[in-house]
Amino acid sequence: MLGFAIVLAAWHLVTAILEVPMFKKIPPPAVVLREWFTPDPFFGVSVYTPLYYSHIGYSVYRAYTAFALAVLLGVPLGILIGWNRKFREFTFPLIETLRPIPPLAWVPLAILMLPGTEPPVIFVTFIAAFFATVLNTLLGVQSIDRSYFRAAQCLGFTRRDILVHVVVPGAMPHVFVGLQIAMGLSWVALVAGEMIAGKRGLGYMIYDAYSMVQIPTIIMGMLTLGFLGYFSSAFVRYVGRRLMAWRAF
Amino acid sequence: MSSPSSRRRLLRAATSAALWRGVVGIALFFAIWEAASLVKLPFLRHVPAPHIVLESVIQTVQTASYWSAVYISAKRVAIGYIIGVVLGVPIGLAFGVSRLFKSTFFPVFETLRPIPPLAWVPLSILFWPTMEMTVVSVIFLGSFFTVVINVLGGVETLDIRYVRAAVSMGATPWQVFWRVIVPAASPSIFIGAAIAMGLTWEIVVAAEMVSSVGSGQTGLGATMWQAYVGGVIPLIITAMISIGLAGLIFSAVIWQIGAYATRWRRVV
Repeated sequence: MLGFAIVLAAWHLVTAILEVPMFKKIPPPAVVLREWFTPDPFFGVSVYTPLYYSHIGYSVYRAYTAFALAVLLGVPLGILIGWNRKFREFTFPLIETLRPIPPLAWVPLAILMLPGTEPPVIFVTFIAAFFATVLNTLLGVQSIDRSYFRAAQCLGFTRRDILVHVVVPGAMPHVFVGLQIAMGLSWVALVAGEMIAGKRGLGYMIYDAYSMVQIPTIIMGMLTLGFLGYFSSAFVRYVGRRLMAWRAF
Repeated sequence: MSSPSSRRRLLRAATSAALWRGVVGIALFFAIWEAASLVKLPFLRHVPAPHIVLESVIQTVQTASYWSAVYISAKRVAIGYIIGVVLGVPIGLAFGVSRLFKSTFFPVFETLRPIPPLAWVPLSILFWPTMEMTVVSVIFLGSFFTVVINVLGGVETLDIRYVRAAVSMGATPWQVFWRVIVPAASPSIFIGAAIAMGLTWEIVVAAEMVSSVGSGQTGLGATMWQAYVGGVIPLIITAMISIGLAGLIFSAVIWQIGAYATRWRRVV
């Protein structure tokens, strides 16, 4: 708490009291807070306006749709790549060739390839989450102790049984680490996607506020994104803990 | 290089099934792409076939403007990244060793960390006098948070018994820091640095795209955006490939440095 106080005080000091030239365009904290929590916002967006929640709703919808797609496609693919050597040899080099292209570099191509305004933004966010999910799932499968496979085979497990009872639970801890990273990355990509291509959402709100020089709204949008990102990661951690009750962490 | 064993190893690698399966996988991807643009699938309507992209790549790499865009982006990445690592490592270590410092500033850090780097762009544009500083500062933020959190993680996984052992043998706090904590955290420092490097190329592209809307800007991201606005689609894909390769090369350099600096960990 003391840390927050120090940072807020420093912010207030450089903007409102000392008026350091570098900070002359940055509003003091009180102005941002007043704009954020007033029923009658000067720039049109505050916790009392439906517009604020519409931006949040769009961003959350996009981030979670893309994340869900990445999990649905990425986890099975990662497990398959880790479990089946031939499949890995055919597909993994291709994945490693496409992976270094940053998700945000896909933006112009996504706009051209996909119709409407929603699919391109979701696609870019999906790309960001997808590769992190696949790689961490694969890492999870590869981290399983070889002797578990041998033990299962000695006990007469079929390849399918091994997949269900050894590979999937064994990879879980890494899968959830991967999902947490993927969640963080999807918010990063989402904001950029919305800034460049979106018509609604928090990234768009920030960019729109920037072009209209509504600086308190920019800072509001940034902090809102911070909270949403934080809660999303906490949510993934929570689900992970519930699903892996055997691990005490 | 030409010793019989290395030649044999090379031969074995070139004839291994794994390599050829990988080649087949990648070739199949391009073949499907080529075929799909040949039959004009609706969603590939605007996407040129691979051979057209290849022509564009060959043409583009011969122009000076391409190389100046690469150079400008690379310079921004390098500056922002180096500042991020240089500030991030000491702050991460300070969070790890000082309970007072951590309890004071870590909550603030954790509140700011989830804000996506790109969300800082508009504020940075207003704050910094030049566009150059804006892009560099956003790259800095992206790498800084990643490095700090990894360094802190590295310090926290240190077995406390090492510290106790050092202290009971008469080490001063200074010696504990330099001889125990820093070496123990160094693998995490380099992992954090490598992850941060992966992020920086993503950020530079997006920052250049966002800030290039409207004004004449430079760098690979701006090249790509101008290609998009001008409808020169092969150039968009050329820029994508360049960015991917550049990120790959920069990351490889960081991994090499990390492997060299922590070479005692190598199991030979």
